[in-house]
Amino acid sequence: MNTRFLAGAAAAVSAVLLAGCAGNSVGSSNAADSGSSAPAASGGGTVTISGQNFTEAEIVADMYAGVLKKAGYDPQVKLVGTRDIYMKVFPKSVDVVPEYVGGILEFLNGTYNGANANPVTLSDASQSITDAQPLLKKAGITLLDPSPATDSNAFFVSKKYADANNVSTLSDLKGKSVVLAAAPDCKGRLDCERGLTDKYGIKITKILPLGYASQQTYDSVLHGESQLGETSTTDGTLESQGLVLLTDDKQIQPAENLVPAVSSSFLADHPDVAAPLNALMAALTTEKLTQLNAQVAVDRQKPEDVAAQFLSDNGLG
Amino acid sequence: MRIFNQTWDYLTTASNWQGSDGIWTLLVQQLLLSVTALTVTMVLALPVALWLGHLGRGGFLAINISNIGRAVPTFALLAILVTLDRPGVATFGPYGRAGLATLIALSLFALPPIVTNGYVAVDEVPAAVKESARGMGMTGWQQFSRVELPLALPLVVSGLRLALVQVWATATIAALVAGPGLGTLITEGFYRTDYAKGIAAAIVVAVVAFLLELIGAAVERATDPTRRSVTRKGVLDVTTGGR
Repeated sequence: MNTRFLAGAAAAVSAVLLAGCAGNSVGSSNAADSGSSAPAASGGGTVTISGQNFTEAEIVADMYAGVLKKAGYDPQVKLVGTRDIYMKVFPKSVDVVPEYVGGILEFLNGTYNGANANPVTLSDASQSITDAQPLLKKAGITLLDPSPATDSNAFFVSKKYADANNVSTLSDLKGKSVVLAAAPDCKGRLDCERGLTDKYGIKITKILPLGYASQQTYDSVLHGESQLGETSTTDGTLESQGLVLLTDDKQIQPAENLVPAVSSSFLADHPDVAAPLNALMAALTTEKLTQLNAQVAVDRQKPEDVAAQFLSDNGLG
Repeated sequence: MRIFNQTWDYLTTASNWQGSDGIWTLLVQQLLLSVTALTVTMVLALPVALWLGHLGRGGFLAINISNIGRAVPTFALLAILVTLDRPGVATFGPYGRAGLATLIALSLFALPPIVTNGYVAVDEVPAAVKESARGMGMTGWQQFSRVELPLALPLVVSGLRLALVQVWATATIAALVAGPGLGTLITEGFYRTDYAKGIAAAIVVAVVAFLLELIGAAVERATDPTRRSVTRKGVLDVTTGGR
């Protein structure tokens, strides 16, 4: 049944179908686990980790697997393309997800309060989590301690532009006209186009929807087609490409600190998963994460090796 | 299903169809892109395919070379073209950012059905008909233009129809390089988890593809010489029968 579904989905060249297929494979393979792991009170058993499959998320998921293995669990990691996919089966049959504070809270906000609900995330991570308790309770998800490491949207210019115009913060761009290369959802967002326009007074003449931290966005800025590009605070590739990250000095970005999201019922049965994950979060910083990303993106190391190295360096794995 | 209601709402809201980023504008942009790509291929490749069909030679080579258009993913080709200095990402008239790269990628995508159908259509005109034409003293050109081409036309048009529908649906990839067309709404919808918007645009693409298919089928039928003569004979029969 599952193979037939997979084959059918593979034949159809449709993002929707592919997404549905990936969601299905996460769900079906875990349906058995959740039943068998229920009786174990604590310490050991299978723990299912899911999350997104971009480089950083992959590294962090591997770290989760490492620390949970050390705590006596048998971690099963299944990463997928987007949050929508694993949120269909989390917290039902997925136990732990490496999350970002704003990412998960806004997803739940959108799910329960509609796509056009006002954002619930502030620039302070802990405060945002406290405020969002009703949402988390409704979803059956518990967020552990947020890490000091944060991966929020950020904006970069080319080194040439930065030198010529003496720019190092977003405030330095005030009153300047720029073309912005960004993710297709940038327009109208407080942490993107609207924030840059309203809070920083930057004149955005055009938005090119070339993607978040994508090669097209980098190229567009490097070739001078656009002046400002969108990426993340933990982008490890900027320096080697001759690009400079600008400081978000007016803090338009909501908190996107790394945070472990755990199924509340799983946590009640296995309270000992919290300590190792919290210790891992405490050990990570934005700079560390940027370096780790660079080790994969620039030095071409494997995410699992980078994660294992970090854990052993910090006495966590 | 809530998503279908939202999609319906999106499609029935007049403001979504108007303005410089409304559905109508994007639809016209995409039509222009598709028709231009098709025209380029038709002008450049179709005469070659037809003439090779007339000669009955080189078809294997032509068809297989043009099949590269099938083997190479159009988006991969587009991705390569935009990273090159030329054609690159420069804005190209109404075809928008990376317009030239998009047109090249789509034109190559239109090659296989046009070349294959063009060649096969002329090549497979019955040998007896070709021989009679030669026997009547027709030159090669006369044989091609008066006998082979009219007989081959429905199949040639069917290739064009196939290419147009394919290119139209594929032209949504222009949005992935910040170009024009309905693909913009689809990618935007997905990125903003505003699926209704993405699905609405996809429905518009599908409906237009269907309409293009219908128009193509009608043109195809109109070009069928055997059907034309049957109709004429039919009319004649009716008149004689009335007497």
